[in-house]
Amino acid sequence: MTTPDRDPQLLKGVLPMLVLRLLADEESYGWELVSRLQRAGLTDIATGTVYPVLSRLEREEQVSSRLVASTAGPARKYYRPTPVGAAELVRAAEGWAALSRTVAGVLDARPVAGATIDPTAAEGA
Amino acid sequence: MTSIDPTPSVPRPIAHRPVRPEFSDQLRLDWYLIRLDWHLQDYPQKAARAIKREIKSDLLTAAAQVGMPAALAALGRPVVLAHGYLGELGRDRPRFTAGAVAAGLAIGVIWFLQIAYAFGALDTLEATGGGTATMTSLGAAVTYTHTSSAISVEGAFTWQWFALWLGVGMVAFVLTSRLWRLWRGPAAA
Repeated sequence: MTTPDRDPQLLKGVLPMLVLRLLADEESYGWELVSRLQRAGLTDIATGTVYPVLSRLEREEQVSSRLVASTAGPARKYYRPTPVGAAELVRAAEGWAALSRTVAGVLDARPVAGATIDPTAAEGA
Repeated sequence: MTSIDPTPSVPRPIAHRPVRPEFSDQLRLDWYLIRLDWHLQDYPQKAARAIKREIKSDLLTAAAQVGMPAALAALGRPVVLAHGYLGELGRDRPRFTAGAVAAGLAIGVIWFLQIAYAFGALDTLEATGGGTATMTSLGAAVTYTHTSSAISVEGAFTWQWFALWLGVGMVAFVLTSRLWRLWRGPAAA
């Protein structure tokens, strides 16, 4: 079964929430976090989209970071949510759940009697 | 806020320890970081340095797992990555480095034109039988000499010439760096 193409804008909107959620489970450095997102099903996520989000979350003090010395190469930067980030995660998750319910309701709604969806209607307009 | 923890209380398992990259991989990494640095010139410099350190560290780690070419490909083009950072910044910033380069080039063009003019004047003197000629521009008297025993250009650097160089350099710097962005508020979301 193939995964339908995802609108990158949709993912962009929820990416900070997903990042906060995964970091709440376990602190990670950027590359590791991308791998976790991909393992979670976001296989088409671009690595380069996650780093700027981490940078913004840190600037907004939603995540904090620490450098962990490495035996080879520069120190890695590990992130984890701050209390501000944890509160934002709760708020975002509630907002997403409400939106998801609303969208699902609209998509699942039965058409009004007599009304049909004509995908070619716009072309004739 | 970043803290430094040289000895984390909970040792983390490292599946793939970063190893010293091969020379070719080091070149690829350095070239990538140079391009990223150029495209991040609008970014606050202290934060940009931290970004480059983080990207370098993670690329070395990833390269140990998938190889440097694949790691760089996964990260995407430096310009796109830099635009991602700038987009998250929420406001446009001046391009100081580009402005400085443009100012240098503009002043260099004037300097080149002065040298070219001097060579042209000397050639003209030679074609007319040689001798000495003095011409004044912007308050500076320049003496061109082309004889069988000497070829020279002598002149003084006046404040008018200094003002011209400074003015051209500043105009190039302001226009190219988009200096007016300093006085702009945050970009619209």
